Amino acid sequence: MSDNKNLSPVERIKQKSDALRGTLQESLQNETTGAIADDDTALVKFHGMYMQDDRDRREERAEKKLERLFSFMVRLRVPGGFFTPEQWIATHHVAGENTTGVIKITTRQTIQLHGILRNKIKPTLKSFSQVHLDSIAACGDVNRNVTCAAHPSESELHAEVHAYAARISKLLLPKTRAFYEIWLDEEKLTDKKEEEDPLYQDRYLPRKFKVGIGIPPNNDLDVFTNDLALIAIIEKGKLIGFNVAIGGGLGATHGNAETYPRLASIIGFVPADDEKLFKTIYEIVTIQRDYGNRSDRKLARLKYTVDKYGTDWYKTELAKRTGFALGDPRPYVFTDRKDHYGWQQNHKGLWYYTPFIENGRILDDEKLALKTALLEIAQTGKANFRFTCNQNLILADILEKDKAAIQQLLEKYKIIEHTDAASAIRKNAIACVALPTCPLALAEAQRYLPDLIGKIETILVKHELTPENIIIRMTGCPNGCGRPYAAEIGFVGTSPGHYNMHLAGDHEGTRLNRIYKENLDETAILKELDLLFWLYKKERITGETFGDFALRQKYYKA
Amino acid sequence: MLNTPKLNLMQELIAGSSREELIWLSGYLAGVVAAQGHPAAAAGQVLAQIASAAAPVAESAATPSINKITIAYGTETGNSKKLASDFAAKAKKKGINAKLVGLETYRLNDLPKEEYFFTVISTQGDGEPPAAAKKFYDHIHQNGLKLEKLKYGVLALGDTSYPLFCKAGEDVDQQLQKAGGQRIASLEKCDTDYESQAVGWFDHILQQLGTSTGPSAAPNGASVIAKPTGKKIYTGTVVANINLNDRGSSKQTHHLEIVAEEVDYQPGDSLGLVPENPALMVETVLGLTGVDADRKITIRQEEHKIGHLLRKKLNIVYLPERVVKKYAAIVQQDIPETRIGLLDLLKIYPVRDAAQFHEVMAILEPTAPRLYSISSSPEAHGGEIHLTVAKDKFAVNGEIKHGLCSDQLSLLAPDQTFEFYIHKNSQFRLPAPEKDVIMIGPGTGVAPFRSFLAQRDSTGASGRNWLFFGDQHFTTDFLYQTELQNWLQTGVLTKLNTAFSRDQAEKVYVQHKMLRESAELFRWLEAGAYVYVCGAKEPMSVDVDVALLHIIQKEGKKPLAQAEAYLDELKESGRYVKDVY
Ligand code: SRM
Ligand SMILES: Cc1cc2nc3c(=O)[nH]c(=O)nc-3n(C[C@H](O)[C@H](O)[C@H](O)COP(=O)(O)OP(=O)(O)OC[C@H]3O[C@@H](n4cnc5c(N)ncnc54)[C@H](O)[C@@H]3O)c2cc1C
Ligand SMILES: Cc1cc2nc3c(=O)[nH]c(=O)nc-3n(C[C@H](O)[C@H](O)[C@H](O)COP(=O)(O)O)c2cc1C
Ligand code: SF4
Repeated sequence: MSDNKNLSPVERIKQKSDALRGTLQESLQNETTGAIADDDTALVKFHGMYMQDDRDRREERAEKKLERLFSFMVRLRVPGGFFTPEQWIATHHVAGENTTGVIKITTRQTIQLHGILRNKIKPTLKSFSQVHLDSIAACGDVNRNVTCAAHPSESELHAEVHAYAARISKLLLPKTRAFYEIWLDEEKLTDKKEEEDPLYQDRYLPRKFKVGIGIPPNNDLDVFTNDLALIAIIEKGKLIGFNVAIGGGLGATHGNAETYPRLASIIGFVPADDEKLFKTIYEIVTIQRDYGNRSDRKLARLKYTVDKYGTDWYKTELAKRTGFALGDPRPYVFTDRKDHYGWQQNHKGLWYYTPFIENGRILDDEKLALKTALLEIAQTGKANFRFTCNQNLILADILEKDKAAIQQLLEKYKIIEHTDAASAIRKNAIACVALPTCPLALAEAQRYLPDLIGKIETILVKHELTPENIIIRMTGCPNGCGRPYAAEIGFVGTSPGHYNMHLAGDHEGTRLNRIYKENLDETAILKELDLLFWLYKKERITGETFGDFALRQKYYKA
Repeated sequence: MLNTPKLNLMQELIAGSSREELIWLSGYLAGVVAAQGHPAAAAGQVLAQIASAAAPVAESAATPSINKITIAYGTETGNSKKLASDFAAKAKKKGINAKLVGLETYRLNDLPKEEYFFTVISTQGDGEPPAAAKKFYDHIHQNGLKLEKLKYGVLALGDTSYPLFCKAGEDVDQQLQKAGGQRIASLEKCDTDYESQAVGWFDHILQQLGTSTGPSAAPNGASVIAKPTGKKIYTGTVVANINLNDRGSSKQTHHLEIVAEEVDYQPGDSLGLVPENPALMVETVLGLTGVDADRKITIRQEEHKIGHLLRKKLNIVYLPERVVKKYAAIVQQDIPETRIGLLDLLKIYPVRDAAQFHEVMAILEPTAPRLYSISSSPEAHGGEIHLTVAKDKFAVNGEIKHGLCSDQLSLLAPDQTFEFYIHKNSQFRLPAPEKDVIMIGPGTGVAPFRSFLAQRDSTGASGRNWLFFGDQHFTTDFLYQTELQNWLQTGVLTKLNTAFSRDQAEKVYVQHKMLRESAELFRWLEAGAYVYVCGAKEPMSVDVDVALLHIIQKEGKKPLAQAEAYLDELKESGRYVKDVY
């Protein structure tokens, strides 16, 4: 079992938290600060929120003798990233009233709202609950939002597979009523038995836990970056089961060799028999609960448990707990990893439109009234909203007869123009949030990548590579929220204006990239890319992706 | 009769003295003569001619020795009280049974029974009596009041830099006479350096009451005659000027840090200064009237250039009705009696010529000083004075304007200098170190409490401190938030309650937070806590009054009358004081 000799502080906070209640009620009453008690900042994550502050405003506020501008980021739990039009409309209004106004689609298929003042949290969560949305376990040392291949036109069985996202999310949900009590003013529990939690007990998991479900051939969700990856195996038009992979995770820390990104390793196959499937999932989590490292949070993810004990051990322990062994993994192929922009039709004849949303940030600016457009589309009630793990959304499940109406709105707001105008690399790019809200950011990401891409585009033009679907991703620190290590070109922030450059990842997300050069500033980055693209143009084998080319040429540090 | 040097001396003295001073002088000499056992009348007459005011002298000379007097004071910042108590002590020494009483608690139906009644009263606001003396002041203004028995004298405290010098004292003096009272000492009007003048006045009274103060009176008396030297003026240099409100706030509250040589002040005092008029406004006035800015004219015994007067001395920005009325008389037009700026007057009702404007100059009043509570502590911020200035904002038919002085202060840049004086407030003082303190100071009302807390922090006072602060929005308007948080952490602040009125649907103010804390608050009161209120006189300080009454009723289980008595008791014992504006 994991050594509990020197538990990390967070472990103690969890255990004495009275099922994640802590002193949150008192914190909400504090009249002298906009923050919450230190211990509560760890607990509030389990309720789907992070306490942050506007880092741009720190100095100025300090001079004014004002504390940091504390606010909260709420991340919703949206298994598989599905919204009804009503839910979108509600979110639009909540964002307008209580937050920065920007609706942010995340790399895990859900949305985040930033800048919520402490006294606006309850109204925010109440309006969400009115449309059956919550943020339970969207963060914290529990299972996070369950992701799934986003586009229904990928497979006739999409709906069937997609349904598992919500069911797994439910299976792994904490039992405590704290969320309802604290934020929705639900009656206090008289009988605590009602919230006994055999899965999480009073200690929850050593660290966050992520589950993703992929549907070959498109790996749009980067399934292997999850702690637990399920790959739908479809034979003769039937879902026969899932390949099971464990130990994915990208977080690393500069200068800490013990930390590293890792893709999930396939350990077997489980048939599409719910009891077996859920038992397998459940026990994979309990093993991590019992064996995961609880003294060093940097080494607490499942990936380190797997590497510490080995996959064979994990399989045996799993069989012990489930009472059955996993089958041999089935063959499958991922051929791509992208969103299908523009109009698509699925097997049932329903229509789907994917607009280009840069870094998942939905707002109205001088160029594009995207937020208003989406509101009006939602108000027609004719399109569902599906989020993708590339920070996009799909206007979904539109009937043939309604397509024209949606098309008309898309034109009215120039969404189609905007989407068609965006270059291939821009559409394939991801940047994490980083500054000003992310406390861990070492450098800019979503506020900077769009400019950088503009400059990269001119280099591509110069080398006549514009049509290439090169995948570029940037993060403000090594935690990997934008999955930069799984990109063909990854930029990982090291300090303001400086990034490590990673190369040689593949196009399908089955191979991690490697570090090429460190601490580059913009000039250096552009110089490197100019050279690399020139070489790529000159020496590529026909059909060879940039990532494969970089690998073949060994453009990485040994 | 007198030899030349003496005569010169006397003429010089007479020339340099105001009518009041002369009247006093005549009485004083009469007293001295009487004390020396010469016929008082002689000396009296001589001076009577000079002063052309023999009346008081005649009376005074005749008064028999008595043994019971009442000394009542009306004070805002404690000066009048201090003097009144000194007088009482002195009288007692002379074997006179002197009753000392604050006008706020004076029983009005005792007035007709009074025989000797001396009032020391200051003037506040724009010629108003101190809040504490309002009841008394209104009472003596009702007609039909009969006070035949009353023999009285009034000592008025004031400040010549205000338009209506010692107005409240003048009014009291007049009303008591109207009511049939007999003035046995002429009204004495004192500027801010009132000490010797006041003492002289009282010694004189004691003499009149037939009890000599002996030769010691002479030096005392002499010093009185010297023309008031005015208050001590300092020059301050701005070292920091920060707008404490964050972006997006509708307010602008400037934290000013000023260095000045050995300024003598205590927590609770405020800083006073006279704002200049905007240069552009002055030029326009000169342009419209065609007067010569360099021409010298004499106003209030002082000769100045017109330009200088308009820029630095006289209120032209926003004239009071009374001045507008006088203006109307000069230009002979009927002008609605409302406050208005001189510039607008000149535009709508122009003066005939420069000559007529000289007449107008004569009716203009001095610009009243503005006061700002000092938010620093001599102990904690040695050598510095801090202010917390809210930029006053108001709309005049649609157009946004700013207050004259607060605007100027808010625009001061580091290294700029300005002149100021200290306005002492001996009423608004920290209690003994071990006493508990409850401070209610929303908005800029927090200023003196920052001073209190800093002082108690650096002197290690053991008493508990509780602050109620309020403003519009938590994120943008929490003045001195981080400093207050630190004091909470270090325990200097025991409790901090805040009310931000516009962060929720319903308005929440400090009095609401007090009511929410009523049980605890009453416990503090019972434990002897001192309560201080600073900030807006209305509605805040009134609402706080009501809230306190309510708390005392509820938690003390007292009927209203008893609760009021409880609150009065707090006031009288100096445990409930306000500095509101
Ligand atoms: C919003 C999002 C990035 C985005 O632009 O979309 C994001 C944003 C943050 N991540 Fe992340 N992560 C996001 C996906 C990821 C991913 C990608 C994925 O899961 O597919 C990863 C890499 C995969 C993995 O988990 O290893 C990821 C790995 C991390 C880590 C590193 C964890 C580790 O094992 O080392 C941290 C830091 C931590 O947990 O201590 C982190 C922490 C954070 C925090 C909450 C910073 C913090 O802990 O205070 C960031 C909030 C910034 C802000 O102001 O919004 N985030 N984070 C993504 C939200 C996903 C969701 O909806 O749940
Ligand atoms: C004891 C005491 C302590 C104080 N402490 C503080 C403190 O700590 N901080 C602080 O900020 N203030 C404090 N004040 C208030 C301060 O003294 C001033 O009254 C305040 O700054 C406004 O002065 P001003 O010259 O800026 O505005 P003014 O020019 O005097 O204007 C004041 C008001 O007059 C009216 N007015 C003026 N001109 C016009 C016009 N042309 N047309 C129409 N209306 C007009 C407006 O209603 C305006 O709001 C204190 C006052 C007192 C008595
Ligand atoms: C806000 C304020 C307004 C004042 N207005 C006048 C005034 O109109 N006329 C005057 O002669 N003195 C005025 N003064 C000066 C006071 O009367 C003077 O400071 C006096 O010494 C105060 O005495 P006290 O402490 O007993 O109240 C004013 C003082 C303050 C603080
Ligand atoms: S990658 Fe780092 S900077 Fe970017 S959002 Fe995640 S934690 Fe913040």
